[in-house]
This record gives sequence, C-alpha cells and structure tokens, in this order.
Amino acid sequence: MRQILKPFLLLLTVSSILFSCTKDETTVALPVTAITVSNLPADTVLGINKITGMPFSAGKYTFFSLERNTIVPNTDSASTQWDLAFAGSKILTNGGTSGTGLGGAFIYTGLFDNVKTISNDSVFKTDNAPASFAVTFGSGKGWYVYDQLTSLITPLAGRVLVIRTASGKYAKVEIINYYKGGVTLPITASDSDKLSKQRYYTFRYAYQPNGSKTF
Amino acid sequence: MKLRFLYFLVFAPICLFSQVRFVKDTIQSQGDSVVVTATRSERKLSNVTVPVTIINAKSIQQIGALRLTDILKEQPGLSMTSGFGAGVQLQGLNPDYTIILINGEPLVGRTAGVLDLNRIALGNIKKIEIVKGPSSSLYGSEAMAGVINIITDATTKTPLQSSLRYGTYNTIDAGLNNTLASKSIFYQGYYNYYSTDGYSIRPSSASRVTTPIKRVATNQQFKYNFTDNTNVLVGLRFTNEQIKNELSVTNGGLTINSNGEEKNTDYNIASSLNHRFSNALKTSFRSYITQYNATQNLLTISGAPYTDILDHVFNRLENQTDWVVNKKLTAIVGGGAVMEGVKSSRYDSEKIRKTNTNQYAFSQWEWTPNAKLILIGGIRFDQNQTYASAWSPKASMLYKINKQHRIRLSVGQGFKAPDFRQLYLNFTNAAAGSYSVFGTAQAQKVIGQLNSLGQIGTLYNNFYQLKSLQPEYATGTHLTWEFEPNAKSFFSFQLFRNDIRNLIEVQQVGAYITGAQIYSYLNIGRAFTTGIEFEAKHQLTKQFSISAAYQYLETGDKDQLAQIKNGTVYTRDANGLSRKLNVSEYVGLPNNSTHKAQLKFNYSNQNGLFGNIRALYRSKWAVNNTNGNEVFDDGDSFAKGYIALHLSIGKDYVNGIGFQFGCDNMLNYIDALNLPNLPGRTFFATLKIQKSKKI
Repeated sequence: MRQILKPFLLLLTVSSILFSCTKDETTVALPVTAITVSNLPADTVLGINKITGMPFSAGKYTFFSLERNTIVPNTDSASTQWDLAFAGSKILTNGGTSGTGLGGAFIYTGLFDNVKTISNDSVFKTDNAPASFAVTFGSGKGWYVYDQLTSLITPLAGRVLVIRTASGKYAKVEIINYYKGGVTLPITASDSDKLSKQRYYTFRYAYQPNGSKTF
Repeated sequence: MKLRFLYFLVFAPICLFSQVRFVKDTIQSQGDSVVVTATRSERKLSNVTVPVTIINAKSIQQIGALRLTDILKEQPGLSMTSGFGAGVQLQGLNPDYTIILINGEPLVGRTAGVLDLNRIALGNIKKIEIVKGPSSSLYGSEAMAGVINIITDATTKTPLQSSLRYGTYNTIDAGLNNTLASKSIFYQGYYNYYSTDGYSIRPSSASRVTTPIKRVATNQQFKYNFTDNTNVLVGLRFTNEQIKNELSVTNGGLTINSNGEEKNTDYNIASSLNHRFSNALKTSFRSYITQYNATQNLLTISGAPYTDILDHVFNRLENQTDWVVNKKLTAIVGGGAVMEGVKSSRYDSEKIRKTNTNQYAFSQWEWTPNAKLILIGGIRFDQNQTYASAWSPKASMLYKINKQHRIRLSVGQGFKAPDFRQLYLNFTNAAAGSYSVFGTAQAQKVIGQLNSLGQIGTLYNNFYQLKSLQPEYATGTHLTWEFEPNAKSFFSFQLFRNDIRNLIEVQQVGAYITGAQIYSYLNIGRAFTTGIEFEAKHQLTKQFSISAAYQYLETGDKDQLAQIKNGTVYTRDANGLSRKLNVSEYVGLPNNSTHKAQLKFNYSNQNGLFGNIRALYRSKWAVNNTNGNEVFDDGDSFAKGYIALHLSIGKDYVNGIGFQFGCDNMLNYIDALNLPNLPGRTFFATLKIQKSKKI
C-alpha cells in the first residue's frame, strides 16, 4: 500500500490563487483563500479482471485534509486527521459511518463564489453506508454524470460540496475534473486510456479555519 | 475501391452513348400534378392550401433510390435519424410525429417511436406526397409534424419489368413488377428481394454498423370496376426482414457480447368500396388490417438467451363521403373506428395483448369565393379508450396574387396519442445497470407492489404526479410564398413555426434500494421548432435542370430556456470553473442542424440518357450532453457538419433494356458514431429489362 501511496504524493501539486482581501477590511473573519488541488489519485484502476471483464483497483481510499491541504496516510484513517476520502467517484466525509470526526456535507446548486455564508437552516447530511452518503453517490445525483455511451465521468457544473470537516469547521469544494491532467478525455479516446487516466481529482476549495460559516 | 471506380469510368460511357431512340418527357418540374394527401381528395397542386412536396417515380428511379430512406434523405427540410432504424425528422420534429401512410393507410410497428423507413421498398410506387405541418384534422394521431403518403396505383400501366442491382458490401436488390389491365380489372404485382452484408467501420471487427440483412417484400393490388361509378380496390402488402445481429453492450467496463437474429414481418390488407352517386356525391368504405411482428432472438456469449418480441395489430374501418355542395363549396365528411393491440416482452406479459379502441369523425369544408382564393377549414375529433380525447382543428388558405405569385397560409393543431410503450412498458434492462422503465398505466401499481416488497429505496415527488397520459399537442403555422416567373423557374419561400406542449418525457420517478433508477412517463415538456425553407428550381436547357434548397432551423425546449434565463443552468469556463450558461450558448434540441442545404444537377435527354449529381449539406448537430447540465449547449458533443455527394448515370433503351450506375457518398464521408446509416463511398450497377414499350 505504501508503494502505491508514494507516487500519489508526488503527483499532488498544489497551487494557490485568488486573494480576496483588501487592506481596508477590518472584519474579524480571516479572508479565505481558494486552493486548487490537481491530480489527486482516488483508487486508480490497476487493470482489468480477465474473467469478469471489470476493472479492478487496490480498493483503498485517498484521505485528504482540507485544513492542512495534504494527503493523510491510510494508517490514520480512523482519526480526525482527514476531512474527505476519495475512491473512484465516491467521496466520504469524516463522520457518521465513515469516520470518527464531526464531518458532514450537502450539495449546493450554484456557483462556488456565491457560497459566501452557509445559512443556519442548511442541513448537513452524514454518511450512512451503504444506504446514503453526505456527498450523494451516483450519476446525476451528486457531483458528476456518467455517460454509458462514452464511459466518461463529467463533474456537473454549478455544484458546490459544502463540507463540515472532521473538526467541525467549514469548507466549500468544487470538483473540476476527474481525469489525469485535469482535462476530460475525448469521446474517441481508447478504452484503456479511459480506464487508466480516470480517478484523478482536480478540485478547488476554500477552508474557513476560524469555525465560522462565512467564506 | 479505386479499381472499381476505374472500371466504372471506363465502361459506363460505352453503355451510355450507344445511340438508340427513346422518347422520354423531361424531368423535374412538378407541373400541375394531382395531390391527394393534402385534402383527402384529388386536387391540383396549384390549388392546394398547405405545403406539399411530390416525389414522382421518375425522380426516385433516376437517383437509384431503393428504400424510402434513400429518397427522403434528399428532400428539403427532412433529415434521417439513426437510433432504432432509420426514422425521418420533419422540420425539427422527431420521427414519432410524422405519420407514414401507404395509400392513405398508416404503417405501424414503431420501436421507441421510430418507424424504420428501410422497411419500405420503392420499386412499384407511383409517387410520394409529403405534407408539412400538423394534419391531425384529417389523419388523427401522429400527423403532428406532417404526413408522408406513399402512393401505388393499380391502374398504372407498366409492362413486365425486372431489375437487378449489385453494389458495394454485396448489396443485392432484385425487383419484378407486372401489371395486367382489361376494361374493368386492373392488377399490379411487385416482388422485391434485398440483401446486404452490412458494413463495419473497423475492418476486422465482427460488429457491424449496418447489420447483415435480408428482406423480401411483395405488394399486390387489384381493382375491379363494377360500373363506371362503382369499384372495389384490394391491396396486399407483405414484408419480411431477417437481420443478423452481433451486439455488444458495455456497462461499467463490462462488455456483454451476444449474437442472434432479428425477424420482422409486416403485412397490410387494405380494401375499399367506392361509389359515385353523382358528380356531386361520392362515398368510400375502407377497411384496413395490419400486423407488425418483430422477434429478436439473441444468445449471449455466456449462453444466456434473450428474446424480445413486439407484435402490433391495427384494424380500422372508415367511411369518407365527398360532397360538392355547389361550384364554390365542397365538403368532406368521414368517420371510423380503430381497434389496436400490442404484445411485447417488454410489457408485464408478452402473452396478453394490450388493446385500445378509438372512434373518430372528421369534416372539412373548402370554399372558393373567387378564382384567386381558396379557404379550407377542417376539424377532427378522436375519442379514446385509454387516453384523453383530442380535437384537431385546421384552417388554411391559398391566395393566387397573379399567375406568378401564390401565398399559402395554414394554421393547425396536431396531436400524438400516447403510444403503448408509454402506457404499458414494464422493462428492466439487465444488460445496463438494471434500471427499469414502467408505462403510466401501471407504474403506480407496479412500483407500489415493489415498495411493499421492500425493493424501493426512494420515490421522487413526480412519482405521485403520475396519472393517465394526455396526447401531445402541436400548433403549427406555415406561410409559403411561391413565385413562378416563367415556365422554367420556380421559387418557394416558407416560414414555419411549431409549438409543442404536453410532450411526454421519460423521467426518473424513484430508485431501487440498489440505487438503480426507475423511470416513467410524464406530460411535461414544451418545445418549439421554427425556421425558414427556401427552394429553387430552374430548367437550364431542355436537358439540364438545377435545383437548390436551404433550411434554417431553430429549436428549443421552452422550460430549459426559462431555466437558462433564470440563471440556474451552469457550464464551465476555460479553466474548468463553473459559471452561468448564457442563452446564446443554448443550441436547442439534439439531433437538429441549424443549416441544411442541397444542390442538384439533373440531365435527361430524349434518347433515354440521364444523369444527376446531388450535394447534400448538413451543419453540426448536438448528440450528447457531455457536461451534464441537462441542456444542449456549446459545451456538449456535436457531430460535425458534412457534405454527402451522390452521383447516378443511366440509360434506358427503346428495346426495354436499361442500365444505371451510381456512386453514393463520393467524398467518402464517414462518422460511424453519429451517422451509422452512411457507409463510406459505395457503388452500384443496375440492369433493367422490361417488355418493350412499343407494342
């Protein structure tokens, strides 16, 4: 498992952009920076089972800390070190049946920049495997659509995952892409490319460390 | 391929330029042909109030068209669709909304709303009439976008005629046509055999874009004149298709391969008794019996058999009476009853036929106040057992400004009844994710039962809104200006708009515990299609003629447009970040091209030599909602625009022998994914032998 994780860490590139503060501001809330995470592997496909014809993978989640902007080792899966866990198109939050933290989430339909405060009547769902997940699983239900004809996964535009982290803080996440390099493969790409290059998340997020619901 | 083309170039002229005299009238101009479809009575084309296109036998023959698809795809304003067989899209409306008639009687046997037009062989037909615009006031359900009527005529005297054609992909077509006529008895018999190996885009692949197929068809027509005023007509039509299938269904990386055979049979028996009481009054009793049976037997590689049966019976009795009230006023009154039934393995039981009955009455009044003006008003009422009844009014007019200019205006309402699939489908697709689709007649009951068994995970709000379906309605307006500056030139300019409401759409109404989706049908959609059609024809010389046509089309889902305007539809910017979609990025309904154009050159001389070259252009069209925002916009997948170029040359000799050579898709345009019905460049050669016309 460690051998698999190492290259994953190498692939992780982080860039920060967008400072939204101005010098005149004197509000208590710290300005929140949007961070983009690219090529986060999420239980990538290792090959195809010759008997069933189904692709197989290691079956391990990639755990990620929004607070520290880093991958958390799988050995810490039973801790509150991580906020989100990725495997294929499934995203877990650190709470409910998935973890020991206070994590939860809901999906907001709208633009990332428009999520400025989380209203008090918003309901955070928690993971309740296998029946339901805070980040709803399935094509067209949560953050992506899967096209049976082209076998491609496309993140839905205008979906923001509003996250309560393991420690009870708040973050907002927009999934940008599901393929290595951050570009969805063309329809005509080979089946083997479609399998080997999927399950690499590019997403941007903003984390509010002060515990408020304002970004 | 190249070598074959060379042969073609070398030998074609030898056959073509041998000098034999043969008299043939010149082609193209529709002249003042007679139209029956527009008013359900014989009218001169120049006196018809609605837009009509007539395709005569000669133009079908001269382009080498074999199946109905071949000729319709070259008509302005029409385009072909390729899912579930070749369907026809008329002015942006899907194949479900155009009724296909043979001698006024509807063809049945649609899969997912599409009637495969490859089923219809063209060897014996007299002409095809296409009426654009809602025509339910005369034809009832399905005549929402328009009507395509294929007309054969027992009294057409043709000598014994046989033809044999061979083409690329081992495509063989053989036809035999015979007529007999005495003073009172007329007979026309037609036999056709067609087979092709199909073709594959990937050379070594077993899977075929067009599957190997064998078709036999026959058509027999008798007419007996008891007296000058009374006759009886009987038409029998039978077709049989055998299609070899090699299918592969891929789901979640798992591919299921299967092979097997599909067998489709289709017969119709149409009879009518016609009597003329006087010059002012005639009546016609018609009976029509038809059955379509499609049986698909597949065997998956793992050995699991799969059978899919669809069996559709449609029987109809009808009377129509035509009355000339006075010189200025004529009327048509009619009515009838339909008994219809479908059995399908996709319903709850393939042994029990789901049935429906329908009674209808219609009337149409035609008033000619003066030589320049014709006004027509008509209405039809369809009363139904399983869905709501429908009124279909229509009003139209023709104003002849002068000898050169004509204006036609028609406004009508058309409808399409919910079909059996929308009422009774009970289908779970084990090959692709085990989703289910239930027709509305049973959805609540079936899903309720599943729920009591604890199999249902979620039910959406729209599940509780399921109720008996209403017909889908369209209101269509067509305004046509025709200009004939002289006997050699013809121009037509048309504006059209169709507003569709109550569209029946498949929607997810819930999910199983496993997460697999459950779908049903709801009357929810609102859409429109609107555009401009332009046609021009010109006879350059006695031998050469040229024709051009162009269609500009805009379509849209009205609810989606409202959502976009509200700013609740999203797309992504160049950096992949979400943003609101602009109305200008919306492209409307899928499978519709904004621009379609065609240009045709025809040559035909008195010695029986003919040739034509046809260029057909279609601009890009949306095929797949790749960005998942549920509307079709610039960010989705499109099929590229293309030009198909076709050529045909032939010669008919006076001794009855005729040759024809053709090359379809000369530019070898291929788009296997979006245009499975367009193989690469193909060639054909036809030999015709008929008893000499000089008797």
